[in-house]
Amino acid sequence: MPPTVDYHCPCLSRSALPPPPHLPSSSFNFHALNELFFCEECDAVRCNRCVSVEVSGYYCPNCLFEVPSASVRAEKNRCARNCFMCPDCRNTLSVVPSDPPDPGDGRMAIPISTIGEPPFFLYCNHCRWDSAEVGITFEKPTGLAAQLQKFEDSAPDSLEFERLKEHFEPVIRASSLSSSTTTAPAAHPSSAAHSHRVRTNSITAAASAALARDIPGVGKHNPLARSGNRAGAGGNKDKTANQDEMPEYRSRVDVTSASKLGSGGGEIDVEYMRHLENVGEVASLEQRWMNSWATPLQAAELKPLRIPLHSKRSKRCPVCAHILIKPEQKAQSVRYKIKLVASNYLPAITAALPHQQDAVGDSSKRTLSKSTAAAAVAAEEERSAAGIHAGKTYPFHLALTNMLYDPIQVRLTVQRVHAPAALPPSSGRASPDKAPTTRRPPFAVSLPSSSFPIAAFAEAWEYEDDEDDDMFGLDDDDEFGIAGRVAGRDKDARGAGKVKMVGVLEKKANVTVVGGEVVIGKEARGNVKFNMLVSYTYRSDDPAPSESNDADGPPSRAAVANKPPEIKTFAFYTVVDLGPIIPREESR
Amino acid sequence: MAPIRDKYTIHSKAVVCQDVELKGDITIGSGTIVHPKATIFAIAGPIVIGSGCIIEEGAIIVNRRKEVMRIGDDNLFEIGCRVECPTVGDFNTISTRARVHHTVRMASFCVIGAGCLVVPTDDEFLDDYTVIYGPAAERRTWSGRGKVQEADLRRKHAEYLREMLPKFNRLRRGEGS
Repeated sequence: MPPTVDYHCPCLSRSALPPPPHLPSSSFNFHALNELFFCEECDAVRCNRCVSVEVSGYYCPNCLFEVPSASVRAEKNRCARNCFMCPDCRNTLSVVPSDPPDPGDGRMAIPISTIGEPPFFLYCNHCRWDSAEVGITFEKPTGLAAQLQKFEDSAPDSLEFERLKEHFEPVIRASSLSSSTTTAPAAHPSSAAHSHRVRTNSITAAASAALARDIPGVGKHNPLARSGNRAGAGGNKDKTANQDEMPEYRSRVDVTSASKLGSGGGEIDVEYMRHLENVGEVASLEQRWMNSWATPLQAAELKPLRIPLHSKRSKRCPVCAHILIKPEQKAQSVRYKIKLVASNYLPAITAALPHQQDAVGDSSKRTLSKSTAAAAVAAEEERSAAGIHAGKTYPFHLALTNMLYDPIQVRLTVQRVHAPAALPPSSGRASPDKAPTTRRPPFAVSLPSSSFPIAAFAEAWEYEDDEDDDMFGLDDDDEFGIAGRVAGRDKDARGAGKVKMVGVLEKKANVTVVGGEVVIGKEARGNVKFNMLVSYTYRSDDPAPSESNDADGPPSRAAVANKPPEIKTFAFYTVVDLGPIIPREESR
Repeated sequence: MAPIRDKYTIHSKAVVCQDVELKGDITIGSGTIVHPKATIFAIAGPIVIGSGCIIEEGAIIVNRRKEVMRIGDDNLFEIGCRVECPTVGDFNTISTRARVHHTVRMASFCVIGAGCLVVPTDDEFLDDYTVIYGPAAERRTWSGRGKVQEADLRRKHAEYLREMLPKFNRLRRGEGS
C-alpha cells in the first residue's frame, strides 16, 4: 500500500489542532488534496463537509437541456422532452419505428421509408426492452411528453394527489389570509415559537392560525394533545390539528382496492408470490424505487420513466459566503467560472518510501521471468521486503510541489503526540483515564527542521536549464537564480560524501524532495501515521522587485506580517501515512 | 497431437484481410467480412462460417472440439469478443469483449451484451431472441420487435465494409496453402 498524505480541514472547529492520527475516528477530518477548497478571503481550507452548497441550475443528463427552475417544479424534477429511462436496465430509451409489415412470402421485409412506420415505441438498446410490452406506443416520433400526458394524468395516483390538493386548497387560502391580518399573540408559547416561520410554509400557517384561535376556549387544546403522538415533533405540520375546521377527507379509492393497483401488499401479492416460477419476474427494489408512486410487483409491468434531472451545484465558504466553486451555465461544459481549489494554493505533498519502490522494481523484473507458482512466492517475498518492519529504520521521501506563481519557504514540523512516559504500547487500553493518548507513539520521525525554498510554478519551457548539472545561476536571476544556486550547492554536497537521508534531497523545477527518517520501535504495531504541520511563507500580490533572498523575515506562525513586501504565512496540518508495520514475529 | 493442417476455403465474395490469424480447417462463406487482427483458430476441429458475417478486430473464434463448429449467417462478432460455441445461429450479435464458453449453443437473434461472460459449467442452449446484458449477465427475452430494421442495418454495415475495407487493407485471396 503506497504511502499517502492527507490534508486537515478544521471544519470550523474551535481548535486548529488535528486529532492524533492513531485514533480511528480521526480520519474524518483529513481529506485528499483534490477534494479541498481554499477561501481567499478567510485564508482557510474548506472541505466538502463545511461548504454550503446551493443549486446553480438543472439539466437533463440525456438531452442536456437546461431546465429553468420554474419548470422543474412543474415537471416534478423530470425531463419534459423525449427522454425516458428503461425500467429494466435504467439505460436511455430511444424512439424507434415499428417493423414494416411482412410481405408474407417468408422472406424478410425490406424497410423503404426513412422515417419509419408508426406506431413508434421506446426501445432500449442495451437490454432490448421495448415499451410495446407494456402497451405504450406513439403515433409520432416527436413530442412524446405531450402524448404521454394523457396517460400520466389519468393514472390513479396523480388523480388522488389532485384530489388531495383540491381538498386542502380552501383551508390553506383561508388560513394564509387570516395569518396575514392577525399579529401573533406574544403570550401564546407555540405561536411565538413558530411566528418567525409563519410565512415559510402555508401548512404551518394553517396550523399556527388554528392554534392562535385556541386562547378563548381551553377545550380546543385537546386535539393537539391527542394528535401529539401521531406527529411528534412536527406537530405544527399535522393537519389533524385543524380537525374541527376542516371537513374530513375521503380518498377517491378505497384503501383495500387501491392495493391492487400498486404493490400495496395484501392477498393479491401473496398469491402472486406463491405461483412465482422465476425470480426475475419480480421487480427488484432498485427498479421499484425509481418509480415514485405506483410500484408494480411484477417486472413485466414496469413502465418507462422520465429521466430525472441532475443539478449543477455551486459552493460557498460558510464563513464569508464567498463563492468557491461556480460551474458554467451550459449543461454540456464541465468547466467552472470560479474554481478556488486548494490544489492551486497549497503545495502538493506526496510521500514515498524508496526501499519500497526498489523492492517493487526488483520483484516485477523477477516475476516476469517466472511461472505462476513461483510468482506467487515472489509476490509474498516482495510484500515483506517492501513492507515496514518493526525495529528498523527507514528513510522516506516527501515531494512538495509548489503551485503558486511565487517561490515559497516551507517548514515542516512533526506534531508531538502527548503521551505519558514509560508506558508500553501494548497496554493501550489499560489506562484510559490518563492524557488524551494513552499510547506512546511506537515510532520516531525525524524531518529537516530548517525551512527550505521551493521555486515558483511556471510553464515547462521556462525550466530549461534545471536538468543541466553544470549550469547553475547563469540563467535569469530573479526567481530561478536562487533555485539554481541552491540546487548547485545541494548537488555538490551530495556528490561529496554519502547520500544524506534527512534534509533537502532534490530540487527540480517547482518540486522539492525532502528526505526524512522514521525509526520503528521493536514492539510497534499498526500504521505509521503522524501529523505534520506545514507552514510556508510567500509574497502575495506584490509586483515590486524586492530582495531576491527569500529568507527575509522570520516565518511567523501566528499572523500575517505587516511588512510592505507583503509576506504572508499559511500553515496547515497534514497526516502522513507510510503504511502498516509488519510486526516482528512474522518477519522472523 | 497431429499437426494442424491449414486448409482455408474462402469464398470469392468474402473479404478477409491479410493480417488475420487463421489456423486449421476454415471455411468462410460469401459476403463475410473479417477485419484485420481477428483470430480464427480451428485447433481440434474445422470451423464453418456462413455468409454475411462480420468479424471485427480482436475477435477470437476458437474450436477446441473435434466436431465441426458451425456459425450461421449475418452474425456480428464485435471487437475483442471470444466465442467457442459449437453452434451459432443467424443474426446474433456478440458485443465487445463478451466471452461465450464452449458449453453454450446459440440459436438465432441472440444478443450477448458488452463484457458479458456466458460461462456456465453445464451445457446450455440459448433460445432464439435471448438477450444477455449487464455486468451480472442477466437475461431476458427480446420480443423480436425491430428485428427487420436490425437485419437491414446489418446488411448495410456489411455492404459498407465490403466497399471500404479493401481500399485500406490488403486482402488475403483464394485458398491458403
